[in-house]
Amino acid sequence: MVHRGRVKPVIPGSCNGDVVLVDSYISFFAEVNPDTGCLVAPSELCFRDAVLVFRGTRGSTVAPYIIYALRRNNTAPRCILVAEAEPMLIAGCVLAEIPLYVVEDYEGLVTSIRLAKKSAYLEVRGNEVLLYERV
Amino acid sequence: MYLTREQEKMLRGDYGWATAKAMEIIVKVGEALGADELVEIVHAHVSGISYSTIGRYGLEFIRDLARGGGKARVFTTVNPGCIDYSGYSSIIDNSLFEFQRLIDEALRKMEFKPVYTCIPYFYRPPTPGEHLAWGESSAVIFANSVYGGFTNREGGPVALAAALTGYTYKAGLHVVENRVGEVEIRVCASTSSTHIGALGLWIGENIKSIPYVRGLNYYSLDDIKNLLASAAASGNHALIVIEGVTPRNTFKLDLVERVEVDAKMLEGYMGGECHGTSILGYIGCPHTSPRELLYITRLLKKYGKPRRGKLLVTMPAEFARIYRDLILELKAMGVDIAAGTCPVVSRFRGGFDCIITNSGKALFYLKRIYKTNIKLAGVEAIVRHLGGA
Repeated sequence: MVHRGRVKPVIPGSCNGDVVLVDSYISFFAEVNPDTGCLVAPSELCFRDAVLVFRGTRGSTVAPYIIYALRRNNTAPRCILVAEAEPMLIAGCVLAEIPLYVVEDYEGLVTSIRLAKKSAYLEVRGNEVLLYERV
Repeated sequence: MYLTREQEKMLRGDYGWATAKAMEIIVKVGEALGADELVEIVHAHVSGISYSTIGRYGLEFIRDLARGGGKARVFTTVNPGCIDYSGYSSIIDNSLFEFQRLIDEALRKMEFKPVYTCIPYFYRPPTPGEHLAWGESSAVIFANSVYGGFTNREGGPVALAAALTGYTYKAGLHVVENRVGEVEIRVCASTSSTHIGALGLWIGENIKSIPYVRGLNYYSLDDIKNLLASAAASGNHALIVIEGVTPRNTFKLDLVERVEVDAKMLEGYMGGECHGTSILGYIGCPHTSPRELLYITRLLKKYGKPRRGKLLVTMPAEFARIYRDLILELKAMGVDIAAGTCPVVSRFRGGFDCIITNSGKALFYLKRIYKTNIKLAGVEAIVRHLGGA
């Protein structure tokens, strides 16, 4: 294990899998393609079936529909961990039934993910987030 | 969460499936945000009604609620769709008409007012302290910052759910203790209305807590509309306290930081240079006010018809009828008019090498959607440039 920290469950649910880190604010509208489950900007990372970690949402209030479309297209992440959760993101996760957690030490988690030499695997147990490095 | 007897009945399904589903969404989102109770709203504004942005699953969601007997319990307006409702535009692609029609029918069935605009405050300006449930980030921030209304950035489905129940959760900006300006931003005299979109983008990207902006005394309300929309696009702001504008007692101040912004700091936000043969000038993000329409008409008389490119102006759906004479005058001067839509929530028929706009919000989205060069300029500079002067 390379990191252990606390999370606040916003929409509790099963959360474990390979990590996709987008260390920025995302506008789901115009920056995420709901057909592919990939970002259009700022990078082209894909997060289908992964644990998506990002700072928070910005931009259009269409976001919940895009998150809902991700679920219906089977391109949604398994769960989402953010530094800040605003109403729009919560509404999207409620509709799409995607577990959502706010990370207390977001910077620490991001540093650990970056330091992991191989891909990182993340698991949420209750109010704890555990990060492992894949062997 | 505490629910009144009526709210419990709604949740239980006594008022039909759609109301129950809507109440479930509001309660779940409210509980996730730590709300103890719901609050009665007077106006819902529903965003996310363009087929171009929400696609078939969004369409299904809206139609299910309409089929399930959903009806607006409060005054409800809707955001722009993906087609030009005036029929005047040759730039906006109307090929999704059949899908948009299905959404529009569902909205009418639920008795929403089909204004198709992102400036719902034109139809019903909020009063200070009034609780609202608005989607559309630019309208939310305008309601909070200019009128002192109380609304969160509701996602499209939450605003829809609030329309069907008449309630939203009491958390976030519905509580005055959460409306606290923390970062003082002084706008230096070197900036002008040319920079206003860029200033909004700068604030959105660089300031994370609620800003308190000073130095905007000489800017018009249309400039402030542009600034707020831009900040809500590049950031997640729902309230910017503006000295002399935001009504007293609808916010508090606890300033912990002070920043000065000058024109030089905004240069990187003005977009790239405009090259190529096919140029589009775009004004109307957020939708134009009647004052802006008059201003554009005056500028066209001064600088002549657009010759070096096309000029697109977008506005609320009803404007094409209410201001018919003015619109026909603009059309006669070669302006492409689109009502009830905009290029952010619809698609162009053809491509452009470059788009010049006064809107920071349009720059933020059009750059990502159309992957073309976008440049920010003032309204006068756009009309002058296209007129060839």
